Amino acid sequence: MNTRDNFPTLTLTWLALVVLTLVSLGLGEWFRAAHWLPLLVAAIIWLKGAMVARYFIESHLAHPFITRLLRVFIAIAPVALVLTAFFGDTLARWASL
Amino acid sequence: MAEAVLQAQPGLPHAETGRIPGNKGIWVGITCEIVEFVVLFAVYFVARAHFPDAFHEGAQRLSLVSGTVITLLMVTSSYFIACSVNAIRNGRQRSSLLWLIAGLIVALGYPIAKFLEIRWNLAHDINGSSGIFFTVYYYLTFNHLVHATWGILGILWVLARLLFEGYSAEEHSGLDALASYWHATDIIWLVIFPLFYVLA
Repeated sequence: MNTRDNFPTLTLTWLALVVLTLVSLGLGEWFRAAHWLPLLVAAIIWLKGAMVARYFIESHLAHPFITRLLRVFIAIAPVALVLTAFFGDTLARWASL
Repeated sequence: MAEAVLQAQPGLPHAETGRIPGNKGIWVGITCEIVEFVVLFAVYFVARAHFPDAFHEGAQRLSLVSGTVITLLMVTSSYFIACSVNAIRNGRQRSSLLWLIAGLIVALGYPIAKFLEIRWNLAHDINGSSGIFFTVYYYLTFNHLVHATWGILGILWVLARLLFEGYSAEEHSGLDALASYWHATDIIWLVIFPLFYVLA
């Protein structure tokens, strides 16, 4: 059992999550038409998910199944977002009935 | 099941690796939750690939304030609950209780914010039949709200146990389980928020 006081780490993580949320809002407003915006948003989604998993759930100390489950889940949406943004037509063709 | 044997990760003491936060049952639930949302996100991305303009325009019509408030509520309640776990681990039961109460109060802001958002939506003619973007938005966000409601009920249960000293520094798997579920639900919202509110 981990009995260290993690309060400073938890607080820094929360602050970083709040800042990243506000940054993503700014990016969405200022660079609405930018071609690369989905890439940056995808990176922020991944970063925020990874921070919650590592510092709140402590996934790096968890059973390998839990570590992998969270790692894969956190990566799915960012990867899908980038694929949809840059290869949307191909994806739509593949997903057509 | 041979794979399930716990093995230490390199560079970390054995006692600190391979743990199951909470209990196995909650991780079965979290895995199911994750699989469910992976399917829902797949529908989102297929719809987005087919109707990019509808998704571009739809996001501009949603209330960015509501999405941001819900995000801050989720992140903050997650933080408070993590602090509650941290406190009980260090034997500070009263502190753990206060952090959890704070987590509950902030978490209760989510359904309230969602209710106000829906009212705002309806006042702006945004409903489930307003187009593909809004159909996907409603079923994904409502689904998340349902999962968050289960989490809030879980907080109430754990709070009751904490009030009657049901947890200690040595045994607090129930609180750990609740925290894991709430953090997983938080991660899911952190994906939903930019997909619907930021990528306008």
